[in-house]
Amino acid sequence: MNPDGTVGIVLVSHSAALAEGAAQLAAQISGGTVAVVPAGGTDDGDLGTSAEKVRQAVGQADRGAGVVVLPDLGSAVLTVRALLADDDDLAASVELADAPFVEGAVAATVAAVGGGGVKAVLSAAEEAWHARKF
Amino acid sequence: MPASSEQAVKLDGDLHARPAGALAVAAARFSASVSLSAGGRRADAKSVLAVMGLGATSGQLVTVSAEGPDAGEAVAAVAAILGRATEVGT
Repeated sequence: MNPDGTVGIVLVSHSAALAEGAAQLAAQISGGTVAVVPAGGTDDGDLGTSAEKVRQAVGQADRGAGVVVLPDLGSAVLTVRALLADDDDLAASVELADAPFVEGAVAATVAAVGGGGVKAVLSAAEEAWHARKF
Repeated sequence: MPASSEQAVKLDGDLHARPAGALAVAAARFSASVSLSAGGRRADAKSVLAVMGLGATSGQLVTVSAEGPDAGEAVAAVAAILGRATEVGT
């Protein structure tokens, strides 16, 4: 791992539009200097998740300091877990976050822009469970 | 270098998502702990969600406080962002 790189973020959603929108929002709020890569929908463009899309997104997001992956719901978690179980190299650079999707994406991206390492970015995402909107 | 520092800023615009993000990113660069207080509530300035959750609006007085070796610089940087929150916009 390259300590000088920033942590990348991958947003895995059943919906391509949701993943893209969340990535756009997180990039805007954080100032957009880290990789926030959406991986939404199936390979056919339907609602669902794609291991291949996740693999490509992780590759794009990885700048040498690790990647935090946020799944939206249910089988998005299973897709990422299955992918990591089959690929040790990928698993070595990826942390899977158990976090609310939008809030976690924003918190993780801001933490990455702030220079946080992979564990700090993961914590920022997971702390989103405790953040009240008002 | 002061171990603790504090400054109040009167907002001339609501504390929207983008300034909250810029503020959290700026605060994260300091080793000092940095917090915002407004309307009787307090938020960790390094947490973008906590800053947004403060719900600080135009005209409100927000107090920036920091504790740590670089507290003075941290407060100055965060207060400067609060001061231009209106320019940053939504």
